[in-house]
Amino acid sequence: MRKLLIALNVFLLLAIVGLALLWHPERRPLPGAGGIGELALADRPAGGDFTLDGPHGEVSLRDYRGKLVLLQFGYTYCPDICPTALVIVAQALAELSPEERARMQALFVSVDPERDDMQRLAAYTAFFHPEILGLSGSIPRLAEMASRYGAMFTRQENASAGGYVIDHTASTYLVDAAGRLVAVLPHATALEQLLAEIRKHLPTS
Amino acid sequence: MKALSSSVVALLAALSFSVQAAGMADRVEVENPYVRLAPPGARATGAFMVLRNAGEQEAILVKADSSVAKIVELHNHINDGGVMRMRQVKDIRVPAKGETHLKPGSYHVMLIDMKAPLKERDHVIITLDFADGSSKEVHAMVVRPTAGGMEMHKH
Repeated sequence: MRKLLIALNVFLLLAIVGLALLWHPERRPLPGAGGIGELALADRPAGGDFTLDGPHGEVSLRDYRGKLVLLQFGYTYCPDICPTALVIVAQALAELSPEERARMQALFVSVDPERDDMQRLAAYTAFFHPEILGLSGSIPRLAEMASRYGAMFTRQENASAGGYVIDHTASTYLVDAAGRLVAVLPHATALEQLLAEIRKHLPTS
Repeated sequence: MKALSSSVVALLAALSFSVQAAGMADRVEVENPYVRLAPPGARATGAFMVLRNAGEQEAILVKADSSVAKIVELHNHINDGGVMRMRQVKDIRVPAKGETHLKPGSYHVMLIDMKAPLKERDHVIITLDFADGSSKEVHAMVVRPTAGGMEMHKH
């Protein structure tokens, strides 16, 4: 009997250890975390309309119905990620014909309204390309629309002697001419791929 | 004669001391350093480079300085499922006989609050301080941001 109990314990122990070593449940990746993110219906965040502050008053996503919208989140204190993302968008805009560009709009949403007033934001986006529009808004409004897009941002205090930093989703969101979120591209997606995705979703006229 | 031999000894001592003092800095070659031009409105920008360590021991960069910025820090990025988290790091390590890349999306020297706005093609001097007290000056040029950032300038 005793031997049986010992054997049972050893077996259970081995089973537990084996399971711990061998079982790898896949973490469900966030949209845009892995490869090119054409979204299957089940994975797709709701997206949808939003209204934020622009340089000349409020701007809504529905203002761009009929155009492809490219959406990115970031902030001007970001020394690396945001410039990289905006450079790629600027390069894409430079590659597109004026007629193609007329059928789309690039938006850069600052998640740092405390530092990024409209003037600072406009000077920042213009550096990359004059057709990128900077928007911002109150934190609750930003948080609400970001979550509908499956994006997030978090303020981190004491991260730098220069002040707080903001962790943020660095993906690029494509919203088609009907206002539907159709693709989420990971940070630093290559120019060729971004162009292919843009041209795929540009409205035909 | 005595004066000559003692001065030879002094010279040898000075030479060996300088070899020791060179340390990690002397064994690290800096390749392709550049500073990204900061857009107007941006308080911070990054300096990037490749660090190659010819030494037998790990080289540990603990601090960077520059006269162009009020604050200089070492940072890294963590890509957490699509969320980019930037974190200040206490050091950047270069393995023995290896290399570490400071590049967009990864490690970088963060320059905060420029004393005067940077212009494209400006030369910036960045001092790299290593854990053993050694240091070296790096000359980096200011360049317009590119996606990957690999401007090919050898220094």
